[in-house]
Amino acid sequence: MSDLLKELYQEIILDHGKTPRNFGECEPFNKSADGHNPLCGDKVHLTLMVDDQGIIKDIKFTGVGCAISIASTSLMTQSLKGKSLDYANSLFQDFSNLITGKGDKLDLIGEEDSLYSLKGVGAFPMRVKCATLSWHAFKSAIND
Amino acid sequence: MEQQDLKSNIRADFPALNKKILKNDLIYFDTAASAQKPLIVINELSDFYSKHYSNVSRGVHTLCVEATFKYEDARKKIQKFINAKSENEIIFTKNATESINLIAQTYCKKYLKPDDEIILSVMEHHSNLLPWFFLRDNYGIVLKFINIDADGNLDLEHFESLITKKTKLVAVTHLSNVFGTITDNKLVEISRANNLHILLDGCQSISHIKVDVQELDCDFYVFSGHKIYGPSGIGVLYGKEDLLDELPPFLGGGGMINEVSLDGATYASLPNKFEAGTPPLVEAYGLGVAIDYVQNIGMEKIELYEKMLTEYADEKMSKLDFVNTYSKSNKKTSIISFNLDDIHAHEVASFLDVEGIAVRAGHHCCQPLMKILDVVATSRISFGVYNTKSEIDYFVDALVKCKNFFSVK
Repeated sequence: MSDLLKELYQEIILDHGKTPRNFGECEPFNKSADGHNPLCGDKVHLTLMVDDQGIIKDIKFTGVGCAISIASTSLMTQSLKGKSLDYANSLFQDFSNLITGKGDKLDLIGEEDSLYSLKGVGAFPMRVKCATLSWHAFKSAIND
Repeated sequence: MEQQDLKSNIRADFPALNKKILKNDLIYFDTAASAQKPLIVINELSDFYSKHYSNVSRGVHTLCVEATFKYEDARKKIQKFINAKSENEIIFTKNATESINLIAQTYCKKYLKPDDEIILSVMEHHSNLLPWFFLRDNYGIVLKFINIDADGNLDLEHFESLITKKTKLVAVTHLSNVFGTITDNKLVEISRANNLHILLDGCQSISHIKVDVQELDCDFYVFSGHKIYGPSGIGVLYGKEDLLDELPPFLGGGGMINEVSLDGATYASLPNKFEAGTPPLVEAYGLGVAIDYVQNIGMEKIELYEKMLTEYADEKMSKLDFVNTYSKSNKKTSIISFNLDDIHAHEVASFLDVEGIAVRAGHHCCQPLMKILDVVATSRISFGVYNTKSEIDYFVDALVKCKNFFSVK
């Protein structure tokens, strides 16, 4: 297996792809959104419980997709749970930079080092959408 | 301004100019019909097919990535070239004709009801008439036509007098393919004041004058790639994003969907919504290369140079008493239509062809306009960056020869 593929399919990705964390629907939830990638058919349904202070008390998802998209969603829910929406927005920016190779300001990624495991996506430009699908769904959920 | 001010040895960029017609050097005065291609465009098409070719957007493999990036990169280049706000406002079509048909059909579905009115002009190319005729024939839409003055400018007072409460859209040429006249931006001001949507047919303006769609403030602007030194088979539709967003899809197929079941479908967002099926991807890329080419020269310079050529030709032709030109307007560029006394345009064109000069003769896809000018046909010369004053000298001498040849008969 090439280094690029090893980098793409790190063990943590395969693990989260097969056994996603926070899979299901928040009960109750006050924010939700659907993400869909028409190019490959990947889908994600995201539900969140956000309190008055803008803290994400709970976040869960259901969906179908490739290992990258499921693992990325699973890792996203782990890194966002308990965090503020401001933090989440900055983290999204950092994450986008990381996987598109533009990353020079990755302060927050350091705190969520599991997200580093998706860095290898950058070598496969057509897969960037797989990794960002759930983040875009998150954006539209909180902007709803 | 001289040709070397554009770019040194610019004629060497165009291999077609090496062609001999019989024993004469080719003088290509038919850019308004289609422009010749610079070598860089020709080579890049071949390079794309040889090294980067695959379908776009639908795969994850390396060639697909390369092809997709080249295709989307062309969209960005066009966006910047005409100063659109967003890439989503640039839709690839096969030509300007398809772009206008797209707007006519989808705009009608969204906004028009029987007896609503659309304003065109009497000097439109058939491609900006027929798509609207279909609406008149099939949906009872009323068409009205702006008159022109003696020099081929739109009569804007007449335009204003045509507007009623039922008028929804005005669709006119931005630069006449018969007269070379440039549409006064007052047309847009009048349209805005009356809440009309505006479509400008940019087929001729795109390669001759600097186009800034935000400054023009039109709602739609269309052009064909082949007239700006790009490949055939690629056209562009620019539309303001909020308007394009509201319009229903045009052609259905792959690539324009969000989700499909056997009961129906939802559609992709812009620009994909209007790009059903495998697009002319290599041609789109080639258009991007052509746009790089003209931008490296600079549209301002091209505009000045071609205006100079037009004035030079006008001046020389006006000295021949057997030549009638059809516009004395000083607001024109790059195109001159003319007739020689008593000699049909086809005879003129054939005579000039043997001399090595390619001109257009016929109705220029403007039959209604020919009727108004009371001619069957005209000859037309049109210029591009590769033309020179000495070519015009040679052409004017050939007109004299032509006149003499047919006078003897």
